[in-house]
Amino acid sequence: MSLIVDHVSKSFPNQNKILPVLRDINLEIQAGELFCIVGPSGCGKTTLLNIIAGLEPPDIGTTTWNGKRIDHISPQRLMIFQELGLFPWLTVLKNVEFGLKMKGIPAKERRETALAHLEMVHLVKFKDAYIHELSGGMKQRVALARALAMDPQMLLMDEPFTALDAQTRAMLHDELQRLWISTKKTIVFVTHNIREAVCLGDRVAVLSARPGMLKNTVPVTLTRPRRIEDHGLMEIVRVILGELKNEIEKTVRDEFHEDTVR
Amino acid sequence: MNFMKTRFVRQIVFYGILLIVWEGLALAQVWPEYIFPSPLDVLRSLAEGFRDSTFWVAIGISLRRIAVGYGISVILGGLLGLAISRFSIVKDTVGNLSLGLQTLPSICWLPLALLWFGINERAIYFVVIMGATFSITMATHAGVRNVQPIFIKAGRNMGARRITLFREVIIPAAMPSILAGLKQGWSFAWRSLMAGELLFVNLGLGHLLMMGRELNDMSRVIAVMVVIAVISILTDKFIFGTAESHLQRKWGLEIKRKASFAQ
Repeated sequence: MSLIVDHVSKSFPNQNKILPVLRDINLEIQAGELFCIVGPSGCGKTTLLNIIAGLEPPDIGTTTWNGKRIDHISPQRLMIFQELGLFPWLTVLKNVEFGLKMKGIPAKERRETALAHLEMVHLVKFKDAYIHELSGGMKQRVALARALAMDPQMLLMDEPFTALDAQTRAMLHDELQRLWISTKKTIVFVTHNIREAVCLGDRVAVLSARPGMLKNTVPVTLTRPRRIEDHGLMEIVRVILGELKNEIEKTVRDEFHEDTVR
Repeated sequence: MNFMKTRFVRQIVFYGILLIVWEGLALAQVWPEYIFPSPLDVLRSLAEGFRDSTFWVAIGISLRRIAVGYGISVILGGLLGLAISRFSIVKDTVGNLSLGLQTLPSICWLPLALLWFGINERAIYFVVIMGATFSITMATHAGVRNVQPIFIKAGRNMGARRITLFREVIIPAAMPSILAGLKQGWSFAWRSLMAGELLFVNLGLGHLLMMGRELNDMSRVIAVMVVIAVISILTDKFIFGTAESHLQRKWGLEIKRKASFAQ
């Protein structure tokens, strides 16, 4: 069982030009793997995640899951966005129940399932709260519970922890690793934070600056649970940083250049 | 709490002074009584109007008219707003027309309504509906159009499709704006109804105002105006106020931003 990204390229039209975003990406992600993707901003990480989710098709190439082609959005592959998309008109409990309701699961059963998943993220006490009453970290945990309650095959996380403070992020790194170990979901985690990627990932794919190309895939064999301040991470971070240094400079140069031309 | 108290005291004092000045002017007989009645006269007319049940009957008739007319507007306006949001062809045609019709003061429809329907209930319903429907339509459309794409993405990702997506995600997400439109629609409907009753249609509160004028009974005219104002305030405070605070409790501060889309 695996997710295969096979020769995927994608471009977008931009001011009468075609802007290549991804070029010839090849990946094989094993079922049950926690796979991280890092790269400089604008390298197409989110586009790649959207393609894996089935939100948009690649121009060239295919993505398959267990040999079946991914060509539409599906509750089997749940996205967790940075903005989360929790529904402010529903309570925490009803948010977690939402996907189950869409699946047509009867009210009593979906309540039980939702409560069990709120328990996993320690938020049962807040089941009747509305979203605006929660802190940033609590919202993240509701989003995780909402996704896991649907029992998807895959979680696709798009820089979900970027907007949080350092302590909350560290806590969520623990939480995510714990949930991943207990549920054994396949997780694809996109971030621009190299330390975060090394902290979480079984492997870290490094994308180049736009157009995003796969530069390297770095395995991380450190024992879990890992913490972002662990010294062991630094060595791998330095390797990835070395690969990305030129890429980041290139991005910055491009942005400067664009600015002067305008 | 202290702030609330200060406000309350200020209001009591203000209205107290207003009444005293009014009573003083009436006592001084600056103007004849049939032009400028005292607050006590108005109070007496109010009591009399309710005692001989003319006010109750008029209130009942006006409320029934507004209930039917506004009710139809809500359904019609809501459906039209959703249709405009969903189908671009409806938006480019009917949507455009709605935008134009919204700018027309609804009482302008009265002559046409009278020719089409005659002097009867249908004419007044027509005017009320023309007054309220399009602002509800426009607010519904604005609300749906401004739903954050992330909600739709998340909803679709969790398996909501078509009608379900509309019912479970898009409409609740647009609710703050829709409510603002319902409130605006209500006030247009109420104004249209009063104008219509004043001008032509038998019975109702507006008609009572006109009767007061014909009888030169100024204190009764003011009494009816008080009744009309009280009904407006009660609806605003209790029906729309309750709905708004309900939404606010769910959405938190975000609602202010959402509701402002409808303005």
